[in-house]
Amino acid sequence: MIVPDLTAPAADAPSFEDAAHGGAPAAARPAFIAFEDASFTYDGASFVFEGLSLTVPQGQFCCLLGGNGSGKSTLARCVNALLTPDAGRVLTFGRDTRDADATYFIRSNAGLVFQSPDDQLVASVVENDVAFGPENLGVPAPELAERVSRALGAVGLQGFQRSETASLSGGQKQRVAIAGVLAMDPALLILDEASAMLDPRGRAGLMRVCRELHDEGLTILMITHYMEEAAQAERVVVLDAGRVVMDGGPDEVLTRGDELRALALDVPFAAALAADLRGRGVAVAPCVDAATLRAELDAARAAAGRAAGADAAGGSDGTAASDAPGPSAPANESPSPADAAPLIALEGVSYSYGDPERRERRRRRRRQEPERADWGPEPGAVWALRDVTLTVREGELLGIAGHTGSGKSTLAQLLNGLARPTRGRVLLRGEDLSARGAAERARAAVGLVFQYPEHQLFAATVYDDVAFGPRNLGLAPAEVDGRVRRALAGVGLDFDAVQARSPFELSGGQQRRVALAGVLAMEPEALVLDEPVAGLDPRGREELLALIERLHAGGLTCVIVSHSMDDLARLADRVLVLNEGAVFSLGTPAEVFADPAALHGVGLGVPEAQALALDLRRDGWPLPRALYDEASLADDVAAALAGEGARHGR
Amino acid sequence: MGDSALFGRYWPGDSVVHRLDPRVKLVCSLALMAVVFAARDWAGLAVCAAFVVAFYLAAGIPLGQAARSIAPLLIIVVMTALLNVLFVQGGQVYAQWGPLCVSEAGLRQAAFIAVRLTLLLLGMSLLTLTTTTLDITEAFERLLSPLARVGLPAHELGMMMGIALRFLPQFAEELRIIYRAQLSRGARLASNPLRGGASALTSLMVPLLTSAFRHAETLSAAMEARCYHGGAGRTRLHPLAVAPRDGGAAAALALMLAAVLAANALG
Repeated sequence: MIVPDLTAPAADAPSFEDAAHGGAPAAARPAFIAFEDASFTYDGASFVFEGLSLTVPQGQFCCLLGGNGSGKSTLARCVNALLTPDAGRVLTFGRDTRDADATYFIRSNAGLVFQSPDDQLVASVVENDVAFGPENLGVPAPELAERVSRALGAVGLQGFQRSETASLSGGQKQRVAIAGVLAMDPALLILDEASAMLDPRGRAGLMRVCRELHDEGLTILMITHYMEEAAQAERVVVLDAGRVVMDGGPDEVLTRGDELRALALDVPFAAALAADLRGRGVAVAPCVDAATLRAELDAARAAAGRAAGADAAGGSDGTAASDAPGPSAPANESPSPADAAPLIALEGVSYSYGDPERRERRRRRRRQEPERADWGPEPGAVWALRDVTLTVREGELLGIAGHTGSGKSTLAQLLNGLARPTRGRVLLRGEDLSARGAAERARAAVGLVFQYPEHQLFAATVYDDVAFGPRNLGLAPAEVDGRVRRALAGVGLDFDAVQARSPFELSGGQQRRVALAGVLAMEPEALVLDEPVAGLDPRGREELLALIERLHAGGLTCVIVSHSMDDLARLADRVLVLNEGAVFSLGTPAEVFADPAALHGVGLGVPEAQALALDLRRDGWPLPRALYDEASLADDVAAALAGEGARHGR
Repeated sequence: MGDSALFGRYWPGDSVVHRLDPRVKLVCSLALMAVVFAARDWAGLAVCAAFVVAFYLAAGIPLGQAARSIAPLLIIVVMTALLNVLFVQGGQVYAQWGPLCVSEAGLRQAAFIAVRLTLLLLGMSLLTLTTTTLDITEAFERLLSPLARVGLPAHELGMMMGIALRFLPQFAEELRIIYRAQLSRGARLASNPLRGGASALTSLMVPLLTSAFRHAETLSAAMEARCYHGGAGRTRLHPLAVAPRDGGAAAALALMLAAVLAANALG
C-alpha cells in the first residue's frame, strides 16, 4: 500500500483509507501521479488534452506552466478525482481515479488548493475551516484539535484558530486553505494557480510554505504563471493545448526563452538577460536565478581581465569604481512633464473608515488579542490614508505602489470623488470636490476602473454595457452610439464582432477590455486603474499594458495602482510609494528605485534589472544610467566587459 | 452603506455564556423571548431588563456594544412605536390632527412595546454575539435531527445556513464595490434608486448574482476535494456536550420566568 509519509505516523491514517484498501496494489509504485494516454473533454467535441502521458514520482516538487486554456486546471482536477478522463487512465497513488472505492482515499491524500482565496473557505472561523476535511474523514475530536494546530503551525498561522476568515488578507486565506488540506495528512499537495490573485508578499509567503513542506517530504504539483516560482521547483513541465511541450529541470526549460515567448509565457529575468548577453558576445552560461547570473558575470569580468593581460590582473576594482558615477547621476531620459498643469490635487488628505476616534478607542480595548500575522497588513489599522499631499499633472502617467493594505485603493477612490477625505481636500482643476455637485462632475471627468472590473459587467450585450455610462450622462442616442464605437475601438475590440454578444460569453481578457471600454465611453479626462492586470496570464497582461501605453500616448492622463515594480518602471512618468497610508516616496522611477534597501523595508522590491544593476555598481561596474531595464543593462554590461578587456590590454 | 457593526456579529470571548452548549443557548434564547412576551406590565419588563443586563454582564459584552449591535434594527422599534402612538387611543389627548391623535394610552402603549421589542432584540443579539455562526447552525441541525427520520434534510439545511452566513460579509463587500463602480459610471443610485430605473437596479443585481454563481461553482468543487459527502460519518472539532453550566443557564431562565409570572400576578 501507499502510505502518506508526511510527518504524521502512518497509524493515524483515516479509517476511510482502511475501507478503501481492498484493491490497493501490493507493491508501492514510485509514481504518485500517472497520466497514461489520458484524454479529457468537457463537451464531447474538443479535447482539453488528448493522449496525455505524464508521471510525477513521490517526493518531487513539480511546476506546471502554460497559458490560459492549456488544460492545467483540468489536469489538476483529474489528479484529485474531481474529474475522470474520457479515455486512457489517470492513476493517483497507483489507484485508478475512476474507481469509486478509491475516490476518498485519493482526495484525502491528494490535497487541492484553488485559485480564488474567497471561494474555497467553508467556515467563518479559521479552526472550523481547517477541521472541515478531517471532519469529513471521521477523525475523532481530540486528534482533530491536534491536527488543526499542527496544520496552522505549518503555514505560519499558529494562534489564528479563532480568527474570522473574512478578516484575513488574501495571502492568509490561501494559507488557511493549505492548512485545511494539510489537516487531512496528504502525501501530495496540488496548487491550482493558488498564488495568481495574491500580492508579491502573499506570493512569497505561500512559496516559503510550499518549500518547507517539500523539505518535509511532501510531493508538490504547483500550477502557476510566475517564473520566480517555477525557478524554485525541481522540475518544470510546460503544457500547450493539452500537450507536454517541455519537461525538465528549471535550468533546462526556463532558459529556452524564444520557445517560452512563443507559448505566451514569461521568461525569467536572469535567463533573458543571460541570453541577451550571449547575443552580445559575452560568455555566460544559461541560468534562471539572479544569484547564479551574478556569479557568472563576476567570472566573465575576471576572465576579461585575465585574457587581456596577466600583469594587470590585480587592483582593477579601484579604477573601475572611480569610473562609475554614483546613484545620484542625472537621469538620461526624463519624459515627465514637470511643468504641466495640475489636474487633480490632494492637500493633506487623511481617510478613515468609520469614526476614527471611536475605532481607536475600540482598538485599544481589544488590544488583549495577541493576533498578529507573521507577515501581512495590520488588521486593526485605523487610518487608511494619512496626510497625503499629491498632484496628478495633466498628461502624465502616475504609478502608485504599495503592498496590500497600504491605502492604494482608497487613494484611487478619492481621486474621482467616490470617497470623501476625512481630513484635507481633493481638488479637480482647482475645484474642491466637497463643493455641491463637484463630486458628481469629478466622477464623469475621472474614470475609475476597479480591480477585476469584469465582475461589474451586467448588460445583455456588450453594446448595452458600454453604453451604460453615456446613457447615464443623458446623451443623445447618436452620441451614445459614437462613444460606444470609439471606446470599443480604443480597447482594441472589433465593434461588429462583439457588440451584440453577451459579455459573459467572452474570454476573461476580453471581458476586462469591455469593462474598460465602459469607463472610456464616459470620455474622461483622466483614467484611474486599480491593479489593471491582476489575475491575467502573461499574454493578457502584456496586451493590457500595451493598451494602457497606447491610451496614455493618445494624451490621456493615467493613474495606475500596481504592485508590479517592473510594470511601473516601464510605464510610469512618476511613481508614488505608499506605506501604511502615508507617502513613503514620490519621484521619477529612477529616483524611487535608487534605494532598494529602503523599499525592501516597506515590503516592496525594485525592478529586477535595476536591482542587479545597483548590485553590480556597488562592486565597481561602470553602469552610469539611473534606471535600467533588461535591454539597457545587457548593453552596458557587455560594454563594461569590453572596456575591462581594453583597459587591461593597454 | 457604511461599515457599521452588522446585527449581532460575533464578539469573541471566553465567558460562561460563550461556553454554553449552543443547543442550550438556542433553546434558552427562544425561551427568553417567550418570557419577555409573557411580561404583561412594567414590573414584568423591569424584571426582564434586569435579567437581560445580567446576562450581558455574564457574557462580558460592554453594554455600548450591545446597543450598537441592535442599532440598525431600532428603526423597527421606532416604526412600531409610532404606529402605536397613532392608533391606540384613550385617556388624555395631547395633540390631534384630523383622525390622528396622540393620547396618553397611545404613548404608554408605544413606550411599552418599544421596550419589549428592544429587550427581544437584545436577547436575540446576545445569542449571535456569543455564538459563532457555525455553532448556531450545528445547534440548529442537531435540534432538527430527530426530524431527519421523517425525511427532513437536517444536515443539509444546517450546512446551507452555515455557508450563507459565511458568505454574508463577502457579498456585502462585493455589493459595496459594485455599487461604487456603477456610481462612478454615472448610475443615479444615490439620489433616487427608483428613478434610475430598471437598468440601475440590474447593474447592481446581475453582477452580484453572477458572482454568487461563480463562488458556488468553486466552493462545491473545493468541498468535494476535501472529501465532503454529506453528514454521514462526519465528526466535529468541538463536539457538543452539555455541561453543568448549561443547567445553570436553564435555571437562570426558569428563575426569570418565575419572577415575571410573579410580577404579572402582583400587577
